[in-house]
Amino acid sequence: MLLDGFATALTPVNLLYALAGVTLGTLVGVLPGIGPAMTVALLLPITFNVPPAGAFIMFAGIYYGGMYGGSTTSILLNTPGESSSMITALEGNKMARRGRAAQALATAAIGSFVAGTIATGLLVVAAPLVVDFAISFGPEDYFALAVLAFTAVSSVLSRSVVRGLASLGFGLVIGLVGIDEQTGQARLTLGVPQLLGGIEVVVVAVGLFALGEALYVASRLRHGEPEIIPVGRAFLGRSDWSRSWRPWLRGTALGFPFGALPGGGAEIPTFLSYSIERRLARGVAREEYGRGAIEGVAGPEAANNASAAGTLVPLLTLGLPTSATAAIMLAAFQQYGLQPGPQLFDHNPALVWGMIASLFLGNAMLLVLNLPLAPVWAKVLHIPRPYLYAGIVLFAALGVYALNASWVDLVVLYVLGLLGFAMRCFGLPIAPAVIGMILGPMAEIQLRRALAIGAGDAAVLVRSPIAAALLALSLLALLTPLVRALVRRLLARRAGSR
Amino acid sequence: MSSDMSSHEEPEERPAAGAAGAAGAGGTAEAEGGPAVPERRAAGSGWDWRRPELVMALVVAGLGGFVLAGTADVSAASSTLGLGPRFFPVLVGIALLLIGVCYAADVVRGGRGDPEESEDVDAAAPADWRTVAQVSVIFLAFAGLVDPLGWIIAGALLFFGLAVTLGAEHRLRAGALAIVLSTLSYLAFVKGLGVSLPAGLLSGVI
Repeated sequence: MLLDGFATALTPVNLLYALAGVTLGTLVGVLPGIGPAMTVALLLPITFNVPPAGAFIMFAGIYYGGMYGGSTTSILLNTPGESSSMITALEGNKMARRGRAAQALATAAIGSFVAGTIATGLLVVAAPLVVDFAISFGPEDYFALAVLAFTAVSSVLSRSVVRGLASLGFGLVIGLVGIDEQTGQARLTLGVPQLLGGIEVVVVAVGLFALGEALYVASRLRHGEPEIIPVGRAFLGRSDWSRSWRPWLRGTALGFPFGALPGGGAEIPTFLSYSIERRLARGVAREEYGRGAIEGVAGPEAANNASAAGTLVPLLTLGLPTSATAAIMLAAFQQYGLQPGPQLFDHNPALVWGMIASLFLGNAMLLVLNLPLAPVWAKVLHIPRPYLYAGIVLFAALGVYALNASWVDLVVLYVLGLLGFAMRCFGLPIAPAVIGMILGPMAEIQLRRALAIGAGDAAVLVRSPIAAALLALSLLALLTPLVRALVRRLLARRAGSR
Repeated sequence: MSSDMSSHEEPEERPAAGAAGAAGAGGTAEAEGGPAVPERRAAGSGWDWRRPELVMALVVAGLGGFVLAGTADVSAASSTLGLGPRFFPVLVGIALLLIGVCYAADVVRGGRGDPEESEDVDAAAPADWRTVAQVSVIFLAFAGLVDPLGWIIAGALLFFGLAVTLGAEHRLRAGALAIVLSTLSYLAFVKGLGVSLPAGLLSGVI
């Protein structure tokens, strides 16, 4: 299967698509203020007129390239934007300040390569197993999965559950707009004919991420030149190798499973990896930790990339996105009329395995691209901010306008940009909205299907043990922060009364 | 009324854990442990109705009401089992109302979202509403002008306007960049990717 995939991925045209994907992904990912999710959203329109296999190969490259690019930004520019590379900035930027930028970039790039390759290997092993398991899933199981993804992403990824849920609610409402697939009734279209087809995912993603970010930056632009550390070719010395390889492997082991879990994301494994490496640090590493230890870059970066591969497991096998980036990838599949899930592996093996094979190739390309070209990418950081954000908005508008050549889409884009702006100001996470918007319609279809099978009896939703377990987990995800707050409150009260 | 907390437009920096877990549960603000206590109390006693975050909570609840009201007319053709096109929107609407109420309760009790951190954002700076308004006007003008003027001209105006608004120092350079970028993007999309963009005034020239 994988070999067939390589046969697909290794054709000259597809190799070119992969190269274009990783290059564009890195280039856009390096831009400050642009994380992997926005990179994927902005570059989605480029793949519209490409045949499916090529498009997904390019897309896989963009995905991994965006991750690589993000780490360069956080090492050379100490103001982390993306939460998943925040940890990398902790030690990475301190290393760069002490003149070890080349080593920090190298351990990030090689660590990402090692982690990405191992994790993609794990994906190859895990995907068929999950497919075998999921083939028997009924609509109630899929509904429960969606509910778990909703609650997990709302409560785990944000510090405040209500704010996460509010964001999720925005996404669900956006997903409702348009014609109901089962009955043909128009919902929430406000009489605007262009809204009958629903709001396109690209418009939502680009609006919330790109335009929302541009408006947010406009509201409080950091004035004055940011401090960017100059860097030469990225390389590792012998002692750096011996200090890096164990953190790479440990980071991979942490990142992959967390990435595969709903709501796991990259934040938790990168943080865990950082603190584990700090605990394990001995000798020089112990002295350097907090002042720029290479272990603190190698581990979290590996965890970050391994979790990126991990998110592909539920995405490809169940059609379940567990991060904003994965949600946009799911939208890309839907653009081609493909629904990821067990059937995708049956019906389109060439496409799925071609994409997985291209992940290996893209990773190797990224390594070659990133080590010698680090100074080139660093130059991108010097783009004056007015031009950068004007350019981001221009390309956001281009991608959205290219969809239907309709100015209504541009107005919708602006409204969603305002929403993204407000969400940023008030600390509402963006990821739940994107996941709610994309997964909401699927949850609705499965819920109605399940209830129709059960003749309207709601008990059908928990009749299958899988669905019951998943719903119980969702409840747990919602209640955990509440319980934690209550316990803290009780402890505080006890401490106060003493 | 402690105006130091309430009259600011933008949220001040707060300890990270401050906003967590205050959702929905009963109890009073001062029971929260840790060093955040004095700040919480100040925020709790000093809130006023103008606090923008409360507006956000009302928007959430209002959206729930809108979903309930806006789908009131679609239930006509519902299927026999009562699982028509209004079933899910009603769930979402009720959930949003509940979330909005909990959110408002959280804000009233002193909970705050941390403004997102970003590479180019100075979270401590006061919000610059003028620039936001200018960016909005430029973008909406672009949306209206892209069809009559065509992509190249409208796109160049969009880039130029935004760059200058955001503080580009050399207008000439911004203008040149704007023309180059919009022309290149037009050529790449129309000739390279086969996407159709309006030529507008320049139709026939390009």
